[in-house]
Amino acid sequence: MARTAPRRGIARAAAAAALIAWLSVAGFSGVASAAARKTTHTAEECIKLLEDGGKIDDCQKAPSPIIPETSELVWGVISFAVLAFAMMKFAYPALKKSMDARADRIRENLDDADRVKAEAETVLDEYRRQLADARNESNRIIEEARQTADQLRRDLMQRAEAEVAELRQRARDDIASAQERATADLRNTVGTLAIELAEKVVEANLDRDTNMRLIERYIQSVGSGSSA
Amino acid sequence: MTAERVEAYASALFEVARAEGALETVEDELFKVARTFEANEQLRSTLTDAVIPVERRLGIVEDLLGGRAAPITTALVSFVVAAGRSRELPAIIDQLVERAAADRKQVVAEVRAAIPLDAATVERLAAALSTATGKSVSVKAVVDQSILGGVIARIGDTVLDGSIRHRLDQLKEAI
Repeated sequence: MARTAPRRGIARAAAAAALIAWLSVAGFSGVASAAARKTTHTAEECIKLLEDGGKIDDCQKAPSPIIPETSELVWGVISFAVLAFAMMKFAYPALKKSMDARADRIRENLDDADRVKAEAETVLDEYRRQLADARNESNRIIEEARQTADQLRRDLMQRAEAEVAELRQRARDDIASAQERATADLRNTVGTLAIELAEKVVEANLDRDTNMRLIERYIQSVGSGSSA
Repeated sequence: MTAERVEAYASALFEVARAEGALETVEDELFKVARTFEANEQLRSTLTDAVIPVERRLGIVEDLLGGRAAPITTALVSFVVAAGRSRELPAIIDQLVERAAADRKQVVAEVRAAIPLDAATVERLAAALSTATGKSVSVKAVVDQSILGGVIARIGDTVLDGSIRHRLDQLKEAI
């Protein structure tokens, strides 16, 4: 329905063009016949001039290639006026209306395009924002993971160092303890050997008489109230 | 409970021995039985083994004491073993000895020596210990070769150690 008015305007413009063309042709045909009549009149004058003793060059004068004949100018002006009037009256409104409609359509399309573009840019901005957020989030997570890993590594190192120190201290304590035990065992062994040796010497030399002397000494010691 | 039981058995044995008029003999023999019981692991485990029939354990007692000790001593030891109180036999006998000594207004001195002591030496030991403690002392001598030489006297909780073993132990500690 929207395209019906432009078509009607185009048909009207075509009709006006046809009329203008006809008027032009008719005008030119009139101009042609006037020219022909003028040529006939000029020829008669030339004949008369030649008869009066003139030369052929006196009767022939070359027309101006630029300036048309007056009649052509008149008809041309009239034809142009008619054509301009017809165009202003019939063709121009339809053409203007059609062009306005097309301009409106193009404007609407442009507006739609701007709107879609704005929406697209909004979506794009949103995507970019989300992408930036995701990037920030991923960076934050990576940073946290790195910090956690560093902390874990530090903790493990500290724990390992503490365990190593503890193991070293324990080893030192074990060595010292083993040395003390070995020394004590050696001392004990030496003492035991010495005592066993003393026992053997005592047993070999402690006969009944000696034993009785020890008992007598014990009796005297206890009886005198001194320590046994 | 065990102390009361030991006290009861010691009282019973004491009364029987005194009634028989052989308290001193029974006291000495029972004292030697107690020390032998303590020193002999095999004898101790045999007499305290509940799996071994009582008759067999009594037969062992009879074999050990029959002919070597007074019949009343053998009978009293058999009585304790038959009653299933072999484990408390040394404590019962020590209680009996202390009670007998107390009955004589004396305290018991357990004297250990590496050689057997004659009666005169025991008398002099009793006199010396009486002087040292201020009490009348009844000496019960035990031969214990592990002390090597010298004498160890124990009166209650007091120990007067004059043994070679004690000197060697002191030397070992010093080393």
